[in-house]
Amino acid sequence: MDVLTNLYHGFHTALTLNNIYLCFIGCLWGTIIGVLPGIGPMAGIILLIPATYGLDATSAIIMLAGIYYGAMYGGSTTSILMNIPGESASIVTCFDGYQMTQKGRGGAALFVAAWGSWIGGILSLIGLMILAPSLANFAMKFGPPEMFAVLLIAFVLLGSLGRDSFFKSMPMIFLGLFLGTVGMDQMTGYLRFTHGIRELYDGIGFMPVAMGAMGVGEVLSSTEESLVRIVHRVRLRELLPTRQELRASWGPIFRGSGLGFVIGLLPGSAHVLASFVSYLVEKRVAKNPEEFGTGRIEGVAGPETANNAASGGAMIPFLGMGIPTSPATAVMMFALIIHGIRPGPLFISEQPRIFWGLIASMCIGNVILIILNLPLVGIFVNLLRIPFRVLFPMILLICLVGTYSVNYNTFDLGVLFAFGVLGYVFRKIKFDIAPFVLAMLLGPLVEEALRLSLMRSGGSFSIFWNHRIALTLIISSCLLFLWNIYRGIRPSKATWERALQEGEG
Amino acid sequence: MKRALSFAVWVLTFVLWSVNAWAASADYPTKPITIIVPFTPGGTVDFTMRTYASTAEKLLKQPVVVVNKPGATGMIGSLAGAQAAPDGYTLTLGSSAMISTLEWEMIEGRKPPFSRHDFAIIGSLTMMTPMVVVPHDSPWKTLSDLLRDCKAKPEYYSFGSGGLYGGSHLPAEMLMMAAGITARHMPYKGAAISLTALAGKHDDFGTHYTASTIPLVRGKKLRVLAILSDRRLRSLPDVPTAKELGFDVSCAQWSGVLVPKDTPASIVEKLRDITLKVTKEKTFIDLIEATGDEVYFMNHEEVAKYWDKESVMFATLFGKLIEKEKKPSK
Repeated sequence: MDVLTNLYHGFHTALTLNNIYLCFIGCLWGTIIGVLPGIGPMAGIILLIPATYGLDATSAIIMLAGIYYGAMYGGSTTSILMNIPGESASIVTCFDGYQMTQKGRGGAALFVAAWGSWIGGILSLIGLMILAPSLANFAMKFGPPEMFAVLLIAFVLLGSLGRDSFFKSMPMIFLGLFLGTVGMDQMTGYLRFTHGIRELYDGIGFMPVAMGAMGVGEVLSSTEESLVRIVHRVRLRELLPTRQELRASWGPIFRGSGLGFVIGLLPGSAHVLASFVSYLVEKRVAKNPEEFGTGRIEGVAGPETANNAASGGAMIPFLGMGIPTSPATAVMMFALIIHGIRPGPLFISEQPRIFWGLIASMCIGNVILIILNLPLVGIFVNLLRIPFRVLFPMILLICLVGTYSVNYNTFDLGVLFAFGVLGYVFRKIKFDIAPFVLAMLLGPLVEEALRLSLMRSGGSFSIFWNHRIALTLIISSCLLFLWNIYRGIRPSKATWERALQEGEG
Repeated sequence: MKRALSFAVWVLTFVLWSVNAWAASADYPTKPITIIVPFTPGGTVDFTMRTYASTAEKLLKQPVVVVNKPGATGMIGSLAGAQAAPDGYTLTLGSSAMISTLEWEMIEGRKPPFSRHDFAIIGSLTMMTPMVVVPHDSPWKTLSDLLRDCKAKPEYYSFGSGGLYGGSHLPAEMLMMAAGITARHMPYKGAAISLTALAGKHDDFGTHYTASTIPLVRGKKLRVLAILSDRRLRSLPDVPTAKELGFDVSCAQWSGVLVPKDTPASIVEKLRDITLKVTKEKTFIDLIEATGDEVYFMNHEEVAKYWDKESVMFATLFGKLIEKEKKPSK
C-alpha cells in the first residue's frame, strides 16, 4: 500500500494548475512532433529544454515526458493516412493502417491506434510504478548475448512478415540486410561500401529509406490511378470502429502492452522493436494471417499499443538506474541534470516527489492525449479529401522537410528520392516492401549483438550455452525458423480448399 | 544615358556592399548566429554548446542557434563549418574528437577534406576528464590491482566503450600502452549502453566521463579507480590520478568554438572576448559543472598549442593501434 500513498502524493504534485498546463503543452508539442515525419521525440525534447530553465525539476520533467509519450500517439497519424512513417516506431503501423485507409476505414484505424496507445500507456505506467526497482536490475542482466537472442527471434519472425510466402520475402530481406551493412563497421572501423562518400559513413539513413520506399513510393504509384476522386462527407459511423473491429482489437492491445513494456526495458531502439515484434506476434496468432497487410485492425492495434507501452518500459532503466537507453531518455536525463538532479539508482528513494509526481502526470498526460487525439481523428481524415493534385505534392514536401530536419543534409534527400523510385519499382513487380525495410533495421542490430557476444567470449559460441536466458530464446527461434520453412513448403488450408474448388469447377 | 545609369547602379551596389561589409564588422552581430555541432543532439558537447549559445545570446543581443549536422564521426559538420562563409555568423564546435578523427583519416590514407588549420580558434569552453571505472563488486580495489591482473592475463579482460576510437575508447588504449597491458575491446553504440553493460558486469572495466558515471558511483553500481588527468577532480577528491600512481596518462577532452580562418580579425576578437565572458558567467559555470565537466577557458594560442600536441599524440596512438591490428592474433 506504499505504492498507493506515494501515488496519492504524486497526484498532489501533478494536479497543480501549473503542472497540468505544462503537461498539456508537452503532450500537444509531442503530438505535433509525432505527426511530423522525420523529427522524433528526442529533437522535440531538446528544442524545449531552454523553456524549462525557469522551472523546477518536477515541472520540467513533466513537460518533457509529455513530449516523449505524446510523440508515440502522434506517430501513427501519417503512417495510417499517408503511408509515411511518422517515426521509426510507426513504420509497422503503415502496413495495415494505410490499407485500412484505402478501404475507407482510416478513421477507425486512427481511433483504435489512439485507444490502444492509451491502454498501453496506462498499463505500462502501472508496471512502472510497481516494478521499477526490481526491473531495473533485470534490465542490467541483458548483455550482448541476450540481446542477440531477442533480435534473433525478431529476425526469424521477419520471415513470416511478407504477404506472400516466406520464400518470396527472402530476396527483400537479403536486400535489406545488404543495404544495412553499408557504412563504417563499428568494431573494426573498416568502411563498407561507402565508395568514398562521407555521408555514407554512418550508413544509408534509415528514415530516408523508409520514408522514401513507403511514402514517396506510394505517391508515385498512386499517380498511375485516376487523379479524380469522389469526395464525400465523412460520416461519423466511418470514423468509429465497428463493434467487430473493437472486439478484435482487445487481444492485440493486451498482448502489445505486455510485449511493449518488456521490450522497452531493453537497451537500444526499443520502440521500433516493440511495434515490430507485436505486429509479427499478432500475425502469428491470428486466424487468417494471410490477410495481414491488407488492412487488419490487429495490425494497427498491437503495434501502436506496444510502442506506447515501450515508452513506459524505457523509463525504467532511466529512472531506476540513471541509465538512459534511448536518445529521448538521454535528453530527459540531461534536463534533470541541468536542474541539479542526478538520476541514479538512488533516484526513486531520494527524490520521491519527482518520481511519483512524474508517474501521476503521465497518467494525466495519457488522459489529455486521448482527449486530444480522438476528435482530431475527424480532422485528419478530412485531410484526405484534399484533391490528389494538391495532396501528393504536400506529402512530398512533408517527406522532404522531415528528412532534412534530421541531419540538415541534402544527401539524405537524394536517398529519399532514390528509394522512392525503388519503392515504386517494388510495387510494380509486386514485391513486398515491409520485409526489406525491417531487415535493413534489424540486420545491423543482430550483427552487432552477435559480434559483441563473440568478442566477450573470445570467439567461442559457448557463451550462448552459458547464458540461460539467451539459450532459451535461441532455441525458440530455431524452432520458429523450422516452422516457417514448413509453412512455406506446405500450402495453407485455405489454399487447399481453393485448389479443390477449382479442381471441381 | 542608359549605360551611364546602369554603371551608376553597379558602382552604387559595390559601394553599398562594401559599406555593408564594413558596417557588418563594426556592428557585428546584426543577424542571428548559427553554431554547427557535428554530432547528434543529446551528447555532452551538444549540451555544452547549447548552454554556450543561450549565454552568448544575452551578451551578443542576437539569437544564437545550434544546428546539429552529424555524420562520419563529426567530419560532415566540421567540414560544413570550415567551408562556411567567413563572416562570423557560422561558428563550429571544436573538440578533441575532431582532432582524433582527422588524424585517423590521415593514418588510414584518406586525405581529409579539411584540416584544423582551416579554422581560426576562438577559445575553449570545457574540459572533460575520463576516469577508470569498474563494477562495484569488482575484486580490484586500486588501479595497480587491475593493471597487475591484466598484465598476468593478456587479452583476457574486457573493457567497453561508447564507440570505436571515440572518447571512451582512446583513454583506455592510452592507459594500456602506458602500462604495457592488453585487454579486449567491446565497442558498444554509445556510452550509455556501455555503462549499462559495465554495471551489469558484462565487462571488467572501462574509461568513462564524469557526467554519466557519477550517478552510478553514488548508487553503488560502479567504482572509480583513477582519474586520467593532471589533477584530482573536485567531485571525487579521494580518487587518485593515474599520474600519482606512476602512469603518465592524461587525456582530458576539450571542447571549444571555432570560425573559418578568413573571418575578419575584428569579428574574431569580439567573439573571443564574448567567449571569455561566457566562461566567467555564473549561470554557464553552474550548468556545466552540474553535468560534471569543468569550465576551462584557453585562449586561441593555448588551444593551438594544445591541439598540436593532441595531433601528435593521436597520430602516435593510432600508429601503434594499427601495428597491433596487423600483428597476427592467436
